Amino acid sequence: MTQENELVTLDPRGGSTHKSEGIAPRPGSLDGLVIGLLSNNKPNSELLMHDVAELLKRRFAIRDVIEANKGSHRVPAPADMIADLAERCDVVIAATAE
Amino acid sequence: MASQPDGKTIRVEKFMSDLTSTRVRHTGYEDAQEHYLADGMGDGLPVVPPTPSKVRAMLDYAGLAPSDVIAEEAVRGVAFTAEKVAINAVMAGCKPEYMPVIISAVQAVSEPPFNFHANSTSTNGVGALVIVSGDIANRIGINSGTVAMGHGFRANATIGRAMGLIKINVYGSVPHRMDKSTFGHPGKYSFCFAEDDDAIPWEPLRVEKGYAADNSTVTVFAANSPIQVNTQNESAPEDFLAIVGDASVVLGERHSEFALALSPELMGYIRAAGWSKQRIKEFIFERGARTGRELNEKHRRITLYEGDDLDRRIPVVESADQITVVGAGGDAGPFAMLIGAWGDVISITKRIQT
Repeated sequence: MTQENELVTLDPRGGSTHKSEGIAPRPGSLDGLVIGLLSNNKPNSELLMHDVAELLKRRFAIRDVIEANKGSHRVPAPADMIADLAERCDVVIAATAE
Repeated sequence: MASQPDGKTIRVEKFMSDLTSTRVRHTGYEDAQEHYLADGMGDGLPVVPPTPSKVRAMLDYAGLAPSDVIAEEAVRGVAFTAEKVAINAVMAGCKPEYMPVIISAVQAVSEPPFNFHANSTSTNGVGALVIVSGDIANRIGINSGTVAMGHGFRANATIGRAMGLIKINVYGSVPHRMDKSTFGHPGKYSFCFAEDDDAIPWEPLRVEKGYAADNSTVTVFAANSPIQVNTQNESAPEDFLAIVGDASVVLGERHSEFALALSPELMGYIRAAGWSKQRIKEFIFERGARTGRELNEKHRRITLYEGDDLDRRIPVVESADQITVVGAGGDAGPFAMLIGAWGDVISITKRIQT
């Protein structure tokens, strides 16, 4: 290959400026904790959440269960809903269903 | 490089240094193509190698510095710099004079109501449809006539393709990774056309969206595949629009919007009958509604309607205003195009700075 055939081009790819937050510390047990259930409003998502809550209650001494529904799977949960769950719950489970 | 006695060399070095993207050295054209056809980069078609001089020409035309941020998308935290947008425009085969359209389209998809992150990941599989309204379409050659949504015109093909490449390369919507489209559709390669100002019997899209008649605009949709509706040579608006309205049922329910393009032949019937654009929207809206009972029995339901909803008429979108009507296409043919949008997306219109 002759030198005049050499090509220098630029990388088209960008990236996110978001920093990874990492995973929140996991509790050793759910005994005595308040569990939040965040539904994304897909069909059957609340049903799935209820079943998950019942299963957890059988295994742990759950103190309370707080339910929330973000209204649509297509958009992020409202900031005040996230803040409220963070304030009131020790653990929040978010799930999808169909 | 200040020690260089040759002024030209100094200028070239400065020119080279303000483009900050990683440089890739290729042994030749074929080698460059293999690089850009590699997994996860590009749309699978050969590209125009984005050399610094070609990228610089794009930026110079737009009057932008490489580090200028054209738009920032908050959900993924992506800043669309002028340099990255220009690189992808070069790869798509754009001319520099297409840059103003692409810049406005990138700003449009970055607006929160466009919901770019969600619609770039979803199984629904949409592409970024760019509809141009205004005289820039004629000046840079965006086709609004025969084969308006098809191939054959560089501006349509490469502006649409640039948006697809930007979505993949800058935003990160790489197939099988972030892009989980069940099917996708050919418009994900490229989807751009102009409204035909000479054929429309109604106010131009840019005016409807609040811009002056002498402005040019882009309107960007999160677009599913277009569905061509054959109106069977009916010439009364209530007859051929009934066929279109019935066809719209397949788009689904609870959609935030959809677009409808009518051909010049159909627009001629609209003009002759004296129908307004608003009347078309309201007719299509009503005609596309179905009772909960009908939807339960004949159409796709996950959760069945019950109670009062059994007799309630449930429309495709929540109001007639969520239907965008545009005019384009070749003179002959009684065809309409329905273009569904991804669920919770609002199309965005931006003025093109020319």
